Amino acid sequence: MARNVRGEGRLDTGLLLVCVTLAILALLAPRRSRESVARGLRATVLLPLVDLEARSAGVRASVMARNALLVSRGRAVADTLSLGAIRDENTTLRKLLGLSARLQEGFVPAEVLPARGPDEFTLNITAGSRVGVQPFLPVVTADGLVGMVETVDHVSSTVITWAHPDFRVSAMSIDQDAFGIVQPHLAAGAERWLLEMRGVPFRAKLETGTLIVSSGLGATYPRGIPVGTVIGELSTPEKWARTYLLKPTVLPENIGPVLVLLPGRGDRGVNGVWTSVAAADSAARAVAAAGDSLARTAAFAELVARRAALDSLLADSLARGDTIGGGLSSRSAAAADSIQRDSLRRELMRRDTVRRDTDRRGTSGREVVGNRPPTRGQ
Amino acid sequence: MRAPQQSSGVASALRAWIGFALLIGAQFGVRPLIAGRASVDFAVIAVLFAAVRMRPGLAAIVGFLTGLALDALSPGGFGASALVLTVVAFGASWLKAVFFADHVALTGLFVFGAKWLFDVVMALLTGIGAGTSMLVALLLWSPLSAALTAMVAVLLLVLFRPLYRPQSL
Repeated sequence: MARNVRGEGRLDTGLLLVCVTLAILALLAPRRSRESVARGLRATVLLPLVDLEARSAGVRASVMARNALLVSRGRAVADTLSLGAIRDENTTLRKLLGLSARLQEGFVPAEVLPARGPDEFTLNITAGSRVGVQPFLPVVTADGLVGMVETVDHVSSTVITWAHPDFRVSAMSIDQDAFGIVQPHLAAGAERWLLEMRGVPFRAKLETGTLIVSSGLGATYPRGIPVGTVIGELSTPEKWARTYLLKPTVLPENIGPVLVLLPGRGDRGVNGVWTSVAAADSAARAVAAAGDSLARTAAFAELVARRAALDSLLADSLARGDTIGGGLSSRSAAAADSIQRDSLRRELMRRDTVRRDTDRRGTSGREVVGNRPPTRGQ
Repeated sequence: MRAPQQSSGVASALRAWIGFALLIGAQFGVRPLIAGRASVDFAVIAVLFAAVRMRPGLAAIVGFLTGLALDALSPGGFGASALVLTVVAFGASWLKAVFFADHVALTGLFVFGAKWLFDVVMALLTGIGAGTSMLVALLLWSPLSAALTAMVAVLLLVLFRPLYRPQSL
């Protein structure tokens, strides 16, 4: 038994030695021999395993390629989305460069810092007392007036925008026909982002689309900075003066890089600096014309509705006449003629009413240009 | 009495060879899918699980052939895997009475040691890498691979007990 076990042990050791020797020979064999043996094994007994490994590697490569494809697609989408923003920023910067060139000197460029609190009506900018910024200096963009510096730190400043409740600017129409004070329109909703020009003399009537610029009266804003365009007149209890609703020239979402006009520059004036005034004016007029067209459409719809209502009233009155008189069969043809004449008279009256209504509508349209319902003082 | 024992032995051997074939298949079919710096070595598991059921001489042959198959598919160090797996398989079969007393944790530890030894000897024999990169490979990635391999081995032992339980062939 012991001899048998010893024999098996020798056999195991022998097999181990044979395997180890073969492995060492394989390891030390010339490269060409090793490669030919490996190639032979791959082409015969290992062929299924080679195939399996190749398929698995292919699957993995496909998954990786798909991941890479998804990543590149996501990147492309992100780039496409950011392209519009970059284009807008480029436009803003180009405009600002143009403005800087026209202003030549006496300003400080600044970036708007991200909002730090819930206050939507103030901005923080990256220019402070170190570069000469002081309180009450005007802040502008290429489109027009943004607001005024309120407080100044060493390297940053706080600016109140035109939407701030404390904002006021003395303004005038571009043709210098009407003067007034522009302030935020303190209404609810989207109208909060409009301006109103108060205290315009009653004799000075402004057309829709008229550009309003700073008048230079007062010590803060130099003359000629675009503030807004007229989009309608508001009815107020003040009958001796007019109040106009303005669309700001600088929209909140377009406030990017800004310029702070330094004191000396303001004193010298900025007339002719905003050369895009005419373009802005014509664009505003186009907007106003679209508003007028909408008003005309609304008036026409109302007229049609009134006609329909009068027709139905007429039919009702005829029906009542039949019932009271015991029906058409008991009446003569003369009665029918009478009804016809009556109907004709009513028709004439109705036309007058419609004409009066139309006239009244026209008057109303003059009160609030652009068919805007009055929001304050009512 | 001998006939049922013989049929049981044949069934056990069949199960063992099926388990071995599945693990070798996983080495070439699954491993490329999850390839990384630290990956599971199904071939080492297959050789160890087969070796503990065999006599040391037979285990050495299985280790040698498996290693040769691995070498044929990566001929840079042709013979190295065969040499290392021969020694590992022989050692596993020789030590089975000590380490494979049906103890899962010990089996895991043994697989960890075998895989790490395999990687170290392979690195020394093939001479891949030098200096810091070799140290990082042997002291970081190899232990991680060994740990992963041991975990998978333990998992296989627990989940597929009939297929991989240590019984003599």
